[in-house]
Amino acid sequence: MQILLDLFYVLIFPGFLFCAVVGLLLAGIDRKIVARMQKRMGPPIVQPFYDFFKLLGKETIIPHAASRGVFIAAPLLGLVSLVVMALFIPVFGFTAFSGVADLIVILYLLTIPAAAIIVGGAASGSPYAGVGISREMVAIVAYELPLIIVLLTVGKKAALDGGITFSFTEIQAYQAEFGSMLSHWSMIPAAVAMLLVIPSEVGSHPFDVAEAETEICEGPLVEYSGSLLGIYKLNHAIKMFILTALFAALFLGGAGSGILIVDVLLLLLICTVVTILSMSLPHAISARLKVEKMFKFYWTLVTVLAVISLVLVWMGF
Amino acid sequence: MGLPFIKEAITQLFSKPSTEKYPLVKKEVSDGFRGKLVFHPELCINCGMCMRVCAPQAITRTIEKTEEGDRITMEFHMGSCTFCSMCADFCSKNSIELSKEYSMVVTNEDDLKVRGSFIKKAPPKKELSPEQLAKLKAAKAAKDGKAEEEFDSCPDA
Amino acid sequence: MFKKIIDNSMAKSPWIYHINTGSCNGCDIELVSVITPRYDAERMGFKLTGTPRHADIVVVSGPVTSQSKERLVRTLAQVPEPRVIVSLGSCPRPCNVFKGSYSVEGPLDKFCEVDVSVAGCTPKPEAIIDGLALAAQILKEKRRQK
Repeated sequence: MQILLDLFYVLIFPGFLFCAVVGLLLAGIDRKIVARMQKRMGPPIVQPFYDFFKLLGKETIIPHAASRGVFIAAPLLGLVSLVVMALFIPVFGFTAFSGVADLIVILYLLTIPAAAIIVGGAASGSPYAGVGISREMVAIVAYELPLIIVLLTVGKKAALDGGITFSFTEIQAYQAEFGSMLSHWSMIPAAVAMLLVIPSEVGSHPFDVAEAETEICEGPLVEYSGSLLGIYKLNHAIKMFILTALFAALFLGGAGSGILIVDVLLLLLICTVVTILSMSLPHAISARLKVEKMFKFYWTLVTVLAVISLVLVWMGF
Repeated sequence: MGLPFIKEAITQLFSKPSTEKYPLVKKEVSDGFRGKLVFHPELCINCGMCMRVCAPQAITRTIEKTEEGDRITMEFHMGSCTFCSMCADFCSKNSIELSKEYSMVVTNEDDLKVRGSFIKKAPPKKELSPEQLAKLKAAKAAKDGKAEEEFDSCPDA
Repeated sequence: MFKKIIDNSMAKSPWIYHINTGSCNGCDIELVSVITPRYDAERMGFKLTGTPRHADIVVVSGPVTSQSKERLVRTLAQVPEPRVIVSLGSCPRPCNVFKGSYSVEGPLDKFCEVDVSVAGCTPKPEAIIDGLALAAQILKEKRRQK
């Protein structure tokens, strides 16, 4: 009986099907809002579904200079790690699997999809892919630092016994008792820092140096076609959902209402608002940043914001 | 690092988009637009000026002999045309005009050729009576002789 | 059931790749202006990609010159099936004013099979939208026949 319930969690509810559908919808909403901000009509909201099914119908070509096994396994690795990550993120008081060190698990699992892009690009055997993966490595180093500091800050704040906690159940219990994290004034710089980390992790404009379309012929994905490319686009969409749900769990959590359906709808609403604020608005108004400017931006401005929050929390506010 | 365009982005989010919905709403073009060619074969006189001035040589003419005269077919290849309208300017009888149709999308290239044919009759032969024929011959002989006399009167060089 | 969904999605999300084999850039400017907010082609699902391996519709402009002939053939070989090739303007097939020149290798028919021609010099953006919509329908037919 427990096996069936676990299988249901993995495949349907916070697992593969739920993540895929919600992620593709969020990607569609992002494209539509960006188009409306640029004063044009934009594609329908279900457009990423059409893109994904079309890619399943194209022929998959594996180039002669590529190493076959790694070329095929890289996108699948990214997909599996994203689905596993979704099982750990709570939906206002309901988690599929919870433990003592949830935050550490999520931190490690978040680097695997980015590494999957790097490994896939390296296995392509094309010089454009080589340029793309070196930029992606710089991007990972840039955004990991503020992300770790933000997670440590939230863990320290939610600890009821003076230490540090890494478990989501304790973070949700703290927010249910004392109000959501965003209502404490010392956590606001950390929330702003997290909002700035999200577009770079997802790989959207203006921080998408790795997948620069016009400059280096789409970077690491240059030799992919057909169903493997479809899995990469699905990873991109699921990552949008995972990161916005993580933001909602860390900063806007609580007990929620007791009914699961209402909690899920509330989570989707928060995810949409966070997507529009942190991904669509910068996409519509700015150009792409160069690699060195992006690195400098993350290690000066965003890290300073996160450290301010950490210091305030450590002093007891 | 200033943040430009934020105000425009948010106001444009709630205003009407400025896209022309093309396939549902057709667009009117202005006067003098040079689109697809229209040929009126009944006005053509087969002078061939349009073929001489066409820069990409997109106009061809075929002549077949039929019992009523010559059947002349002019063929204008729209795929090769530059739409400069030199042929319409040079045609003395205004039998070529460029219309306002702009959408020429085909899968088979033959559909892009505009053809028109007409029949040109040879002018009727005039019958001469025998006195008129003799008068014509005498006049011709006199003209030949006068030329010889003038030639002989040149001083020896 | 999946087959029907895949067949229908072929016509709703075609991705475009553009090759310029020596044209005067007039047709390129008109093609890029189809993506601007006034004639927005993205509402029908079109998207410009950066590499031929991601593309469904290949748009070729310009008469095929000697220097670009080899690169054209190699690029067209990298496009996965099913695919549609569109010739834009009056340069690719009948070569307009460049017929018979020493460096023009001839009509596009010699190198690949051309499915749709959009005539005009240069074609209006509305005509290009018509051509691309027809190409998307042909793509769906090709997928169905496979």
